[in-house]
Amino acid sequence: MGRKMKDVLAKSIIYLATGITLCVLLFIVGFIFVKGISLVNWDFLTRDYNEKVFYAFVQEEVVPMTIDAASLSQKDPYDKRYESSLEGPIYIENIGAAIAKVAYKNNATEKEQFVFSYIEKDSPLLSAIDSTGKKLSIGTDYILESINGTDFEGLSLEDVAAQINHETGELKIKVVQPGGGVRSNIITTLYMVLVSLLIALPLGIFGAIYLTEYAKPGRLVNIIRFAAECLAGIPSIIFGLFGMAFFVVALKFQISLLSGSLTVAIILLPVIIRSTEEALKTVPTAFREGSLALGATKLQTIFKVVLPCAVPGIATAVLLSIGRVVGESAALLLTAGTVAQIPGTLFSPGSTLTVQAYYVAKEEGNIELACAIGIVIIVIVIVLNILSRITSDKLNVFNKK
Amino acid sequence: MNKKIKFNAKNLDLYYGDFQALKSINLEICEKEVTAFIGPSGCGKSTFLRCLNRMNDLIDSVKIEGEIIFEGQDINGDIDVINLRTRVGMVFQKPNPFPMSIYENIAYGPKCQGVKDKTQLDTLVKESLVKAALWEEVKDRLNKSALGLSGGQQQRLCIARAIAMQPEVILMDEPTSALDPIATAKIEDLMSKLKKDYTIIIVTHSMQQAGRISDKTAFFLMGEVVEFNETPVIFTNPADKRTEDYITGRFG
Ligand SMILES: Nc1ncnc2c1ncn2[C@@H]1O[C@H](COP(=O)(O)OP(=O)(O)OP(=O)(O)O)[C@@H](O)[C@H]1O
Ligand SMILES: [Mg+2]
Repeated sequence: MGRKMKDVLAKSIIYLATGITLCVLLFIVGFIFVKGISLVNWDFLTRDYNEKVFYAFVQEEVVPMTIDAASLSQKDPYDKRYESSLEGPIYIENIGAAIAKVAYKNNATEKEQFVFSYIEKDSPLLSAIDSTGKKLSIGTDYILESINGTDFEGLSLEDVAAQINHETGELKIKVVQPGGGVRSNIITTLYMVLVSLLIALPLGIFGAIYLTEYAKPGRLVNIIRFAAECLAGIPSIIFGLFGMAFFVVALKFQISLLSGSLTVAIILLPVIIRSTEEALKTVPTAFREGSLALGATKLQTIFKVVLPCAVPGIATAVLLSIGRVVGESAALLLTAGTVAQIPGTLFSPGSTLTVQAYYVAKEEGNIELACAIGIVIIVIVIVLNILSRITSDKLNVFNKK
Repeated sequence: MNKKIKFNAKNLDLYYGDFQALKSINLEICEKEVTAFIGPSGCGKSTFLRCLNRMNDLIDSVKIEGEIIFEGQDINGDIDVINLRTRVGMVFQKPNPFPMSIYENIAYGPKCQGVKDKTQLDTLVKESLVKAALWEEVKDRLNKSALGLSGGQQQRLCIARAIAMQPEVILMDEPTSALDPIATAKIEDLMSKLKKDYTIIIVTHSMQQAGRISDKTAFFLMGEVVEFNETPVIFTNPADKRTEDYITGRFG
């Protein structure tokens, strides 16, 4: 075979390999997007996963309809969870809103329910308050369960409309805010990133400083490095088990944000130590000598000269860490739980987006929803990456000429 | 005239591990003079220079025997190294300004010593830059990064940085070897001005430079001081054959 032939062959193999890699990547991302994108909308991002039932107090007030009947029936407030509207919508003047009867599907349960399909902008529903006088928001899609104690279950739409029109004065309405969103998971994810970085970054940076600046090269340092490297190679489920046994049970932190963050922080440590160490090593000795020759102490030298130079490397560590936290599922499943709620304190549980994606795919068999969560995860990772890159550029001492 | 002796090295030996880099050095360095160290590469000039402000402490394998008396105290003994380094400043071969603003570079040393007063720092920065003949060139860009300066300017900044500590001695290890002739001339000029106030010790590979700026010259060879005398004597009438060979360029 001629040299040229070999060249061409080698080249085509390289191109092919690159092509396949790219295709697989595009295919996966494309698959996730195609599957999930139809579920991603504003409501999906701003609603909690669980339904929220509340009582609203509304002052009855007659508001005439400002749109015509044709466009009313075209108002399509139903998201994918409702197959179609069974009856209606019917406009009800004394609350200034239209309701429709729908078959509501959630997981395995299927129920017939009444939902608001259209709300006038002068509607008294928009100034609804709760029993303590706090303002509530009621929107289209919300489920109407009862008014002044009359439960609507099993009634026809006409009966319900007549019933509501009949009521006067202050109305006490039982409303259900539909769930299915991921707001709490997004917030839990951000909390988890924040808390675990707050724990792992200082530890990792100080560890790296010890290893590069203080420790005499030798046995001990090698052992520490080896340990860190081993930690990096251990599958995260092991950390999850440890976190469950130690933080959750032994330290009695419960399944909580704190247990989860501590567990993830341990997973992050090797990454942070390694990148920071690399960054510290690339800081020229000339800077250290220059600083010491000016009568600075070692500590001053490290904090005023060496660390600022290492900022880009530390930023890389942060980047990698964010990816790890957002992507972590096994360890968090065991330590932070699968409750889709915003953790009120460090000691309350909450599921991150990844855990939630696992949960809905595995426990509810809802691949579409899991893919929709996947899209949100991808977007969050990209946004956090861009943010930390910008900050690291801003902080890079070598960029400022 | 009888000048005061600033450094007095007595039987100084230095080992890098097993390798003896300095062999029984005896040297008296006078105050407010320029002393030049010359000699072929690897003969121990930098090593000796770094002994004078204990920079060799940074190298783990170094072992030192003998004394260096500085102001009546043996600096190899149990002394305050930080204090020594504030009194004995150093300028390195490659300009090494910190990646900070010009102002911060100069204010760095004093700040590390706990000077916080803004006006005091301001005057210190200005005075140091004026003394280092850099003020006119940088006064409008004090808050710009020092990395944006030219090599020559950076080296003068490093000198200004050393001056800001108000040291008694300034050690310079081939301070002009990375610079062009014009920048070199500026720095040589600067040194002759600075010797009024400071004791200057300079390592150089340029015979002409040693001849132009130094009062005394020490010739190092293989870790020993072969000859130490007034610069004109060394260059016109050396006592040792090896010195003569070296300065006439006949050295192997
Ligand atoms: N950190 C070190 N570890 C081991 N040996 C060293 C170290 N630094 C210098 N040496 C050795 O000590 C000897 C003296 O080195 P030194 O740097 O003082 O020479 P120099 O006279 O400054 O040379 P040059 O003119 O090239 O700068 C050399 O043989 C060198 O190899
Ligand atoms: Mg040298």
